[in-house]
Amino acid sequence: MRDEAREGAGISMLYVEDEADARQMVSRMLAMNYPNLTLYSADNGLQALELYRQRTPEIVMTDINMPVMDGIRMSREIKTINPEVLIIAVTAHSDTSYLLSAIEIGVHHYVLKPLNYQELFAVLDKVLEQIELKRLVSAQHRRLAQSERQLAAAQRIARLGSWQRDLDAEIMDWSDEMYRICGLEPGSIPASYQAFLERFHPEDRAGVASSLARALDPDRQPDHTFVRVLRPDGALRIVRLEVEAVREQAGTTGVIGTCHDVTELKQAELQVRSLTEGLERRVSQRTSLLQATVSELENFSYFVSHDLRAPVARLEGFCTALLEDCGGCGHANCRQYAERSANVVQQIKQIMDAFNSLTHLARCALTISDTDLSALARGISQRLAHSEPKRRVEFVIAEGARVKGDPELLGKALGHLLDNAWKFTSKTDRARIEFGWNDQEGVRTYFVRDNGAGFNMKYAPKLFKPFQTIHAPGEFGTGTGIGLATAHSIVLRHGGRMWAEGEVGRGAAFYFTLEPNPESGSYLKEA
Amino acid sequence: MAPSYILLVEDNPDDLFLASRIIGKACGHEILTARDGEEADELLRRMERDDTYRHIRLVLLDLKLPKISGLDLLRGIRTSDKLHELAVAILTSSDNETDQEQCWQLGVVDYIYKPMTVDRLKGILSRYEGAQ
Repeated sequence: MRDEAREGAGISMLYVEDEADARQMVSRMLAMNYPNLTLYSADNGLQALELYRQRTPEIVMTDINMPVMDGIRMSREIKTINPEVLIIAVTAHSDTSYLLSAIEIGVHHYVLKPLNYQELFAVLDKVLEQIELKRLVSAQHRRLAQSERQLAAAQRIARLGSWQRDLDAEIMDWSDEMYRICGLEPGSIPASYQAFLERFHPEDRAGVASSLARALDPDRQPDHTFVRVLRPDGALRIVRLEVEAVREQAGTTGVIGTCHDVTELKQAELQVRSLTEGLERRVSQRTSLLQATVSELENFSYFVSHDLRAPVARLEGFCTALLEDCGGCGHANCRQYAERSANVVQQIKQIMDAFNSLTHLARCALTISDTDLSALARGISQRLAHSEPKRRVEFVIAEGARVKGDPELLGKALGHLLDNAWKFTSKTDRARIEFGWNDQEGVRTYFVRDNGAGFNMKYAPKLFKPFQTIHAPGEFGTGTGIGLATAHSIVLRHGGRMWAEGEVGRGAAFYFTLEPNPESGSYLKEA
Repeated sequence: MAPSYILLVEDNPDDLFLASRIIGKACGHEILTARDGEEADELLRRMERDDTYRHIRLVLLDLKLPKISGLDLLRGIRTSDKLHELAVAILTSSDNETDQEQCWQLGVVDYIYKPMTVDRLKGILSRYEGAQ
């Protein structure tokens, strides 16, 4: 500090002396000892005054007895321009009248002529130190004012009021924002404890008082309460009140706390809650509707799988009996009719089985785990290749299609898609079946593509309907017509969708997506 | 030599006819019929008393029966001192997996989905001929 002062960094001084030799000598000495001090010099009061106006140095060191304008007059003038200026008088006079005028105008430092440099430097050091101190204090003042402004702005922006109550003082301290939250002009009413309590809704006052009292308990953990502020205009604000004890070495001296205006937040919370409740109500309505539908479906499927089974079995039995015992009547068509009836019974049974497996799919619970579609596709392709070793089919299977899903069901779905491709490439030279994926508009989309018989896009809507075939019976072997319907149903159960593209004679492509995180279990909770 | 019997417990006349026909084609055993669970139960108890139950080669039991269900009848047979050794085959059109599991646990020689065929019945009889 002292070294800095001696250097006089950032400080300037005006030196006024009418004697040229003395002025030069002193100026040189000053420049040598205070290299960082900016020094201006003048040889009379008038010139000095002019220079002062231009440069406004912090220090003026002046001779008293000078022509044109003496040091006392000049100092008075300068003091009127800047009362803070520090003036060092250099004089040979010990005359009291000079001294009195000097004191009167606020000259506090003297150096007597002839100049003793040690004395001059001591005075100058003191003055520089004074300036440094003043600068330090004013910088701290600025910082303090700035953080106060920041605190006030932060409180205003956050709608956070603060207050403090000292146990031995009548009047509390409320921040401006605290007043505003209460609907008052800052400082407009005395911040007494009673007035504080009266800011709150009558029903909440006891709670607020007890919060403040409880905070004094040394074992208590900080917590918060939501209370209502009742403004003079009758408006209610919801605030979050937090209280803490002020502890000093002598013990607890008071309580300090905040009131955070969370009215809008609370309103939004209420809105969200009511929206959520509405949504839950709707979901539960839809769920009961769905449950009713499912229960009907279950009744129907029970009817097919149990009640219909017995008469169909009987019919089958009689067809067999007819086939086994017929031959005596001699009618040529008899046996043929019996055979065809038996065939029809087999068709009915197939359809019933297909129906049951589809309805089962719609109801069964999913068991979700990590599933490698690529590995499943590879397994299926090997099975297909072994089933007809004479066929030459190129399988192209992209690796690493890992998804979350029910491995058994997804394997079944892929099986149906690949079976389908296998079947419809049976008359294709250089048959090629591909499993892969790509991202379509950001959605991972898997596909099974072949270069087989394809289909006319106008039949696309029929593809996933059960028991619908778009090729003539027997053209591509037999099928119950539920393979694609089953695959479609499995994809739907996994929250995805399935569609197909094709062209007659050019092949077909089946696409599907899957929900990234499907849930295990049935899609309906048990009633 | 005393005749051998197959006891057919079946309520539906068509099923009764079809099963009787298959039995007639598959073997020379006499057919005893019961039209519901209660009737079957009474018949079996009577045969148990006079020991004629020994001549029953096979019980063909429908599950869905009036009065006493096939499953209850089977339980009764299995818990009886003498009857428990009878060979019982289920003849049903239900595909209920729980029923099937319970029947196997109670010890049946076969679980046949209707309609029964001559070969299936012959197979059972050849396996259980002289089982008693």
